[in-house]
Amino acid sequence: MPAEKAVLPEPALVQPLAVDMRRLTRVGARPGFLEYLVQLWDFREFIFYDARARVQSGTRRDRLGSAWLLLNPIFSGLTYYFMFGLLLQTGRGIENYVGYLVIGIFIFQASAGAITSGAKSIEGNKAVVQAFNFPRATLLIGVNIREMLANVPLILAMLLIVTIVPPVEKITWLWLLIVPALVLQGIFNLGLGLILARIIARVHDAKHLLPFAMRAWMYGSAIFYSYERFVSHPEIVAAMKLNPLFNVIDIIRNCVLYAQPPTWQSWATLAVWALGALLVGMVFFWQGEESYGRG
Amino acid sequence: MVAAEQVLDVEGHPCVVVDRAAMEYRVVTSDATAVAEERKEISLLSRLTRRPNTVTVQALHELSLVVERGESVGIIGRNGSGKSTLMKLICGQVRPSSGAIFASSTPIMLGVNAALVGDLSGQQNVVLGCLAMGMSRREVAAKFTGIVELSGLRDSIYLPMKSYSSGMASRLRFAIAASIDPEILLVDEALNTGDAQFNERSKRRMDQLREQAGCVFIVSHSLDTITSMCSRVVWLDKGHMIMDGEPSETVKAYQDFTSNLAKGNGITAARILDEARANLHMTEVLGRSKMRRSRA
Repeated sequence: MPAEKAVLPEPALVQPLAVDMRRLTRVGARPGFLEYLVQLWDFREFIFYDARARVQSGTRRDRLGSAWLLLNPIFSGLTYYFMFGLLLQTGRGIENYVGYLVIGIFIFQASAGAITSGAKSIEGNKAVVQAFNFPRATLLIGVNIREMLANVPLILAMLLIVTIVPPVEKITWLWLLIVPALVLQGIFNLGLGLILARIIARVHDAKHLLPFAMRAWMYGSAIFYSYERFVSHPEIVAAMKLNPLFNVIDIIRNCVLYAQPPTWQSWATLAVWALGALLVGMVFFWQGEESYGRG
Repeated sequence: MVAAEQVLDVEGHPCVVVDRAAMEYRVVTSDATAVAEERKEISLLSRLTRRPNTVTVQALHELSLVVERGESVGIIGRNGSGKSTLMKLICGQVRPSSGAIFASSTPIMLGVNAALVGDLSGQQNVVLGCLAMGMSRREVAAKFTGIVELSGLRDSIYLPMKSYSSGMASRLRFAIAASIDPEILLVDEALNTGDAQFNERSKRRMDQLREQAGCVFIVSHSLDTITSMCSRVVWLDKGHMIMDGEPSETVKAYQDFTSNLAKGNGITAARILDEARANLHMTEVLGRSKMRRSRA
């Protein structure tokens, strides 16, 4: 149609209007960082409701429902026990290999799950993000709280296995140290999730790399072997001791299996990772706040 | 383009100021010639890093608007004219690629797109949506029955939202968004997705909201709705502003334009469009007082 190609005439007039802008704010503007944190606090009811509602509905499609929360790590535990414990015998020299393996797998999977769903939470909640104006980090906090709630029965099951399957471990006061370790782990998961969520919201392709990164991380966390097999390579041992998830697992193994108080170095490494990840993650995520609603 | 010599003062505090906002998207296309055309100009490096087969679409050309308290602005135009883009910019869902939008409070959009969280029940979605708009649990509890009533979902409210028909889902979304009394209200068309009974209820609620709201933006293909509800109508075509004025006048020009197009009189239609555009008084926003024009 020729009409479509025609250039539009210029408007007759451009009328300048002087407007009092003092009471106006830019729509969708990102608040200052501290203001943002205050907003997060104001949305706490949203966060908790979101977390709770989704725990209940998470496994509704499966016939066994919430039982999968537990069956999943148990099956992977059995698989790894068969592969690494019986066939490859990587557990030689490890005292209470079943307990060692179970703790490693349960704790690692708790983190892997939280980090993965945190990373995907902006992309996966497009409908909610586009429908309402709320601080987007609430979604990640909600996801992480949900994962922590879902992990409670898991951790209890883990402890139950350790006390039932021989060699049976005795319950000591040291078991209480699990709680701070798990809290630090949760903080770390949130921080890393915040960083990844912004990256994935911008570059979708990163989502496909996530499972490989997680797999590699798992093999590097001494889950079905002891780090002592690298004793001849001090660099590897040093690198492993910087791995935050290895530290969580190590702390919990020491408390639960070997009745040894964890070293202060483990705590310090873990705490630095957790708080550092949270701070970096928050700032990084907040800087992208205005970009998450985009188509 | 002629610049007016006199600067007009806007009295009081406006509700919404659109300051030279423009929007462009990069989208994937299957039109190979268009891609080749665009690619000629770019360097090898960006050719490698850029996604293949994309072209830039100018959804909205630079546009300024000042909307005062008490105004209801209708936005009309053909499909793809940038109506919805403008609404998305005003409600803050998308940030304009240049320019900015200022408002006196958070605008609320009464949209009707699909489900919110499909796995959750309608009831849970109501609570979640209300909390996301910043209500407290107590306010949600107080408004819950009203929302369910407006949506007309009755017992289905306890079923997962993914089991809803598209009409049911959009009714629920409307009811959630309408539960808050916003100062600035944006209404996207397609509210007529529900059945007659729902339309009646939703129309009543909309009227209520419009009375309370400081200003309202309405996008609709129903010109009757626009003329009866609006005090000012903006006509957009292909991302350009064509007319901005009295509802009856603007709607009439637009109707002339579309009916000529429908009859195949492309040239007459184009003339109407050009004429309207040539008579347009565009606005340009000048901030009084030291304002936050700075681009954050």
